[in-house]
Amino acid sequence: MRRLYLSGTLVFWLLIAALWGAKFWLPEADAPAIAVHERPVSPAELSRHAVPDDCWMAIRGSVYDVSPYLPEHPSRPELVLPWCGRDASEAYATKSKGRPHSAQADELLAKYRLGSLAAQ
Amino acid sequence: MRLIRRLSIPLLVLACTAVPVYWAFPDGLPAARSLAIVLGWAGCGLLLASLLLMLRETWLAHWLGGLERMYRWHHRVGMAAYLLLLAHPLALAADALMDSPRRAWQVLFPSTLLGPIWLGWLALLLLMLGLAATFSTRLAYRTWRWLHFLLGIGVLCSLLHVLLLGIDEPVLPLLVLCALLLGWRLIGEDSARFARPYVVAAALHASDDVLEITLAPLARPVAANAGQFVLVAFFSGAGFRACGEFHPFTVSAVDADGQLRISVKALGDCTRRMQALVSGVPARVHGPFGSFLANRPAARQLWLAGGIGITPFLALLRSARLVHPTTLFYLYRSEADAAFLSELQSVAAADRKLALYTLATGDEPPNLDLLLAEAGALAGAPECYLCGPPGMLAAAVKTLRRHGIRPRHIHFENFGFR
Repeated sequence: MRRLYLSGTLVFWLLIAALWGAKFWLPEADAPAIAVHERPVSPAELSRHAVPDDCWMAIRGSVYDVSPYLPEHPSRPELVLPWCGRDASEAYATKSKGRPHSAQADELLAKYRLGSLAAQ
Repeated sequence: MRLIRRLSIPLLVLACTAVPVYWAFPDGLPAARSLAIVLGWAGCGLLLASLLLMLRETWLAHWLGGLERMYRWHHRVGMAAYLLLLAHPLALAADALMDSPRRAWQVLFPSTLLGPIWLGWLALLLLMLGLAATFSTRLAYRTWRWLHFLLGIGVLCSLLHVLLLGIDEPVLPLLVLCALLLGWRLIGEDSARFARPYVVAAALHASDDVLEITLAPLARPVAANAGQFVLVAFFSGAGFRACGEFHPFTVSAVDADGQLRISVKALGDCTRRMQALVSGVPARVHGPFGSFLANRPAARQLWLAGGIGITPFLALLRSARLVHPTTLFYLYRSEADAAFLSELQSVAAADRKLALYTLATGDEPPNLDLLLAEAGALAGAPECYLCGPPGMLAAAVKTLRRHGIRPRHIHFENFGFR
């Protein structure tokens, strides 16, 4: 059992170290295509995309089609789905226990940008 | 009934693991991310099972096949949980690695505020440190016990990590359950609230470093049988300064008025201090546990005792006359260490069914092959019962197997509870 603990812990830290090294030595993958459609989206159009398979959200003035990401979101669906078709800026800024989403989440979100939220 | 007891722990572990994994089983996610989720939930389920298996309750031990078996599984299940939880962040990173190595690194070590992730790391590090302490044999028991407690905090942190991710539905009750189990063990058992009150009625040296203590009950006594063991803690009083820790001791006699006799060998700091016990010292007793000598088949018996391992056999000899022909080997380091030798010789002289062989081994391991062959002890494939230090047990099992004794005829219990 002791040997299992030592070898498991060692392999774990070796893999973490390898991942750290990979940051520097492996080339970055091609940047994902961002902003396929850069166009204004009206609130009325936004509200027509309010189901899990077709879920758009407005966050900080931009509109995102987050349908492909929803299955991967760590929170329960009932926490996220009510924001489909709506301005979710407040929810995005105050996720679990009132904390904002991370910079990594911002980076991920950019992949799903459709355009900007129009006034009318 | 035996089958139920044999399957009880595997079924318990399976239920604790399968239910959360089934609840959280991902649908339509990439393989590495799905794997990470399953590993995380399976790890949490195994931690819960491991906590259940550390409880020292007589009724629970009865249903789960004994305290020694529970502890064996507690270790296995805890280790399995640790390995799965180590693999959990690696699988998450593997998922992000498809995008880029930089993103994989950020998944593990976010640069901005991400409380749940850092809590997950804290949980893993606590589990890592707690297990490192668990495997350390050089630590004093008291230090070891407190470091082992880090594992409990690690369990709570791992569930808080999931809770802060916004997954509160099954986690909140799980967290409460784990906290209750830890509290039960710490407040109820370790601080002796659930144990029966006793007082030291007599304390007599059976050898240089073995003290036989008679414990008189102050309330309803524990229902112990010869060969079982109890967990006993002594407390300061009557001029004695106690360490207050529970230690396992085999019951060496059960007297008619509910008094128990246990034998304490000076092996560590606490048991060395116990050699100064006197009448009037308060004690608490948990138990009884174990079924080492219970349900013995009607067959010739071979008993092999090393040092203080003589106590379960002594308890049996004190409780009733032998029914089956029995050969007892009693090995000890020197005559001065041979506790209860004269009593055993008197019993052997009075009971024709008992053949007693004694040997002072010195510092060298005994030649068990020669010893057993000379005594003709293995004729007729007897039921073999072993009690002694781990080295002697391992050597004895090897020797008996070499002489064709099947494992189901070799019985022993491991009294190490670290």
